Formats: sequence, C-alpha cells, structure tokens
Amino acid sequence: MIGCYDFCGHYEWTFEWLRRQGGHALVKAFWDEAIHRDSQRHAAELIVGKGIEGMKKYWGVTLDDEGGAHHCTATAEVFRIDMHECPSKGFLLRNGLEQYRDYCDHCMGWIGPLMKEAGYVVDHEHNHCGKCWWEMRAATSEARPGAVGEVSGTQDVRLRGDWISKHTDHYERATDPDSKSDRP
Amino acid sequence: MSDALPHPDTKPSGHADFYYAINATFRFVLTRSGIGKLREYWGELGAGYFKPVSDQWTQCGLAGVADYWRAFFQAEPGAEVEVQELADEVRLEVKRCPAIHHLRENGREIVPCFCQHCYFVSEAIAGPAGLSVRVQGGNGSCVQKFMRTKADAPAQDLEEIAAAS
Repeated sequence: MIGCYDFCGHYEWTFEWLRRQGGHALVKAFWDEAIHRDSQRHAAELIVGKGIEGMKKYWGVTLDDEGGAHHCTATAEVFRIDMHECPSKGFLLRNGLEQYRDYCDHCMGWIGPLMKEAGYVVDHEHNHCGKCWWEMRAATSEARPGAVGEVSGTQDVRLRGDWISKHTDHYERATDPDSKSDRP
Repeated sequence: MSDALPHPDTKPSGHADFYYAINATFRFVLTRSGIGKLREYWGELGAGYFKPVSDQWTQCGLAGVADYWRAFFQAEPGAEVEVQELADEVRLEVKRCPAIHHLRENGREIVPCFCQHCYFVSEAIAGPAGLSVRVQGGNGSCVQKFMRTKADAPAQDLEEIAAAS
C-alpha cells in the first residue's frame, strides 16, 4: 500500500514520472484535473461562489491539519497566507527527496486554475526553502500586492531573516503555474 | 518514529485527505492511458521511490518486512492491521483499510482497481529482495502474504483482489 504519511514523497516522485511520460503539459494537466478538479474538489466547493469566506473555511482547516507553521489574514479585499514552515516542502528537504525540477509549482498548478474558476487572481512568491506567501484578490480588483508587513503585519514571512534564498519564484495576478519570473 | 520508515516526518501520522489525491492520481493515469500504464506506474513507483524499503528488506529479510509494515500502518490514520511473523511468511491481516474507509466515508468515487496497487507496488518492492507478495480480498479489508520467491509458486490471481467501491 502507498500511504498518506509520506504522501509528499511519492507525490513529488509522481510529477517527474508524469513529466517523463508526457512532458510539462501532462504535469500541468495532472495538477488541474487530478488535484484541482478531483482530489481537492472540496476546496472548489467552498471557494467558487463564496470567495474569501470560502478560502477562510478551506485553508483555516487544511493548513492546521497538515501541521507546519503559517498565518492567514483575511479582509474584505484580500486573503493572504504566510507560510513560515511548509510541512510538505519541509518533509522533502529533510529527506533529501527531489525528483521533479520544482515541487513548489504544484500549489500554483492546482490553486491557480481554482482561483481562475472563482474569479480571483494570485500574487505569490515561494523561496524553495519551505517559505512562501500568497495574496488572493478578485480579478476585478485593481489593488496591487501589499508591501512587506502591510497585510499581515509582523506575520509577513518576508520579514524573516531566512526569507531571502538563492532562487525565489514570483507571480503577479496569476492563475497559471507557468506565469512566473525568477528572482535571485 | 520507527527507523523502519525510510522517509520519516516530524508528525506522528499522515493526513487522511491525501488519500483523495492518491485515488485521483490513479484515476488520472487510468483515464488517460489505461490499466497497463497504471500498472506500469505502480511498478516503477515500487522500484523507484520505494527502493530504500526494498534495500531494507534485502538486508533484513522477512523480519524487515514485518518491521516496515508495523511502522507503516501505525502512521496511517484509521488503520487496523495485524502483522503476523510466521515461519516462512509475513502476513498482514488488514481489518480496516484506512484509504478505502476514508474515501468511502467522505463520498469519494473510488477507482475500482484501487486495491490492485497493493499487489503491484509491493511486488516491485519485494522482487529485488528475493520476496513476493500475494493479495486476497480488498475493498476495505484483505490479507497480504509476503514470502520468499519460489519459481514454481502460482502467480497472483488478480481475480482474488476485490474491486473497490
């Protein structure tokens, strides 16, 4: 049996297996079809049509259940997650598991299409060291992402001394995992 | 956490909702590429990702098999499994499969061939260690027997693995 205890290990291994089978297009299709529309369909049921209230219900429970260290901030305009210790990436780093080129892409891989369906866009950065932040706003909003500390105060992950890494991926008003730019 | 698990975590047990993703992964591969490709995935997963388990079984034999499954099911939420070390086999009496029960209790459509993964993944782990597995039952409870590979042993009868629902 394959189990849920080390799920992130065989999940990450599966990304690379799929890439070898059908290239990047198949991996993207997997994140959208298998994760967004099948595995995490309970997230779509909460968020599509209910917006930020649904995000509070979904991530309020899920992130607590998965462990790690995080902080969620919700206003009428934005839902923000500061992930200080990602339980998933942390597991991979501690065990030296890296088959796929960028495990962190999977989050935007399924959350991005879900947000598009819900009418939201995402500003996001991940530093490949188990730390990231997300801001979800309505696609009709003209607001820009908050400056450091503006939305989540002292909980802003970018205030940490270990936020800066060799390789940070950056997304602006995105819903596609490929819509990223690299920042040193 | 036991040393028998090659990829330890800081948490005592896994998050059962990840069974949704395992089931969805099987459905994705099955729908796109058929049962042959899904079995190929299971086999490569067993031989690849689970190679450290295979190495443990090579080193420790059936005692290593028993240690692994005891630690494994201790970390799977909702599992009720008895691991028996017999003279020439390790027998898993899966009284309550945590995956099938979590999927069923949460109204998820289970891929009918879900339980076959236990045979194909475990056989790929066991093979390099000179071991084989045979599975009987499924759909929530089953018996899995791990034993030394014998050339004249009958092959796994896939009809003995129940369809999941």
